[in-house]
Amino acid sequence: MIQFENVVKTYPNGVQALKGVSLTIEQGEFIAIIGLSGAGKSTLLRSINQMHSITDGTLMVNGVNVSSLKGKALRRFRRDIGMVFQSFNLVKRTTVIKNVLAARVADMPLWKSLLGLYAKEDKLIALEALDQVGILEKAYTRADQLSGGQQQRVALARTVAQQPKIILADEPVASLDPVTSQQVMSDFVKINQDLNITVVANMHHVDIALKYARRVIGIKEGLIVYDGPSTEVTNDILKAVYGRELSDDELMGA
Amino acid sequence: MEKIKKFFLPRPIILSSGKIVQPKLSPMVYILPILGIAIYYSAQLTRFKFSTLINRGSQFFVIVGRMIPPNPAYFERAWMPLLITILMSVFGTIIGSAFSLPAAYVSSENMVKNKYAKLAFRAIFSILRTIPLLILAIIFRNIFGLGAFAGTMAVGVFTFTIMTKMFYELIDTADMGPFEAIESSGASRVQAFWSGIMPQLWGQYIALILYNFEMNIRNAAILGYVGAGGIGILLNERLAWRAYADVGIILIALMVTVYLIESLSRHIRKRLL
Ligand SMILES: Nc1ncnc2c1ncn2[C@@H]1O[C@H](COP(=O)(O)OP(=O)(O)OP(=O)(O)O)[C@@H](O)[C@H]1O
Ligand SMILES: [Mg+2]
Repeated sequence: MIQFENVVKTYPNGVQALKGVSLTIEQGEFIAIIGLSGAGKSTLLRSINQMHSITDGTLMVNGVNVSSLKGKALRRFRRDIGMVFQSFNLVKRTTVIKNVLAARVADMPLWKSLLGLYAKEDKLIALEALDQVGILEKAYTRADQLSGGQQQRVALARTVAQQPKIILADEPVASLDPVTSQQVMSDFVKINQDLNITVVANMHHVDIALKYARRVIGIKEGLIVYDGPSTEVTNDILKAVYGRELSDDELMGA
Repeated sequence: MEKIKKFFLPRPIILSSGKIVQPKLSPMVYILPILGIAIYYSAQLTRFKFSTLINRGSQFFVIVGRMIPPNPAYFERAWMPLLITILMSVFGTIIGSAFSLPAAYVSSENMVKNKYAKLAFRAIFSILRTIPLLILAIIFRNIFGLGAFAGTMAVGVFTFTIMTKMFYELIDTADMGPFEAIESSGASRVQAFWSGIMPQLWGQYIALILYNFEMNIRNAAILGYVGAGGIGILLNERLAWRAYADVGIILIALMVTVYLIESLSRHIRKRLL
């Protein structure tokens, strides 16, 4: 369970990206966060795993107050939270399997990770993760030889290999074409349902967000303006989130 | 001043449409006189004289002439010191490169969050880098005594300083995406560096090592002059004895070695990048 209570985030340069956010996310939910560029979506996501620290309020994840975490405890905490990025963030010059295995180093002693001594079990976990997203046959291909959609699947497999309870996805399909986007989103749904992993995804395309997420959170200028089922999102709500009506071509993708 | 400027200013160009374009004053107007003055004073200070170059320069060819024909029999004495020179470069390069990796890590903008720590490390390594190789060799000779160990250490420290700078610049241009992803999975920064940044840079790192190795072979050849081991000892001795035929065979052996190593290294580097 993730609990935000009046969470405020002010960046060192004075920008207040979150202005008092309160929300509760249960284990196993699939949530899309929508909002204009600069609304604070990435900030919200990154505060959950403390890639950004919050400046006020409380943020509890599975009973742990995340602002209190430092060093080893913080790293231990992060092992339960996977992250997927818009730009995939793979090492392009190495193989797919090595990229996925990178999710296992956090669990290894330093000397083993320096020598690249992955346990047989780790390799099995990595290969099974690749199987789960349907690109097992690419395991020994170099990452830069894959299409964007395949690379995002590798990134998803890397996160699955981490065996997290929560996956945070920052605009995971924003740099993919509409058809590929749908396939990758289906993978997210599959992982969400098969493994009961909570998925919180920032979404660029509203209609993809509405189609795949069960719950939608709309944020505007650092405040939540909508929080409810995706089936109940109306044009008026979108207008409140985006500040204006969306045209049909902005609703592309579905 | 305005008048002088106007004198140097290029003529305006008149287009067929009647528009006038005034080209800018070329910076050469300032650069050429300054360069001229600098060259003049450099020549004065270094007592450079063309007349000397012409009168005595031919001596160079006289000496080269005396090296021909070289004395192949001398190779029997030269090959061992030559091998030592190569080994000094090999071990020096390996040691220096190995230590440069953690040093580059703590000097890189991307890896070290504390700006002052980074600057302090960079300052230390920069100061080390200003020490010329021959001075390092003399220092280590005084510490460890005459011989190849001092030379190896000198090559090692020299390589360390150069590799550190070259490599932290590489780290700072690396893609931080994989690092962020691995760090967010709960890995330490060192682990994220090793699994997210190094796989991007191994090829370039090894290419840098080979490049330094090429330089070091040539550098190591003179270390014997200050008693730090290798072929330089013989070169010094034979030159002092004016045994030019022996010098000739040493130089040929050295050139062949350098050529072979550079070709091999270039071949490998091409495949790496
Ligand atoms: N590291 C940072 N330092 C300072 N200000 C930042 C930083 N990151 C984000 N901001 C500011 O905080 C606000 C929210 O940014 P955030 O990245 O969370 O928005 P977003 O909703 O993810 O936007 P986008 O859709 O463009 O990714 C913006 O005004 C942004 O300029
Ligand atoms: Mg963002």
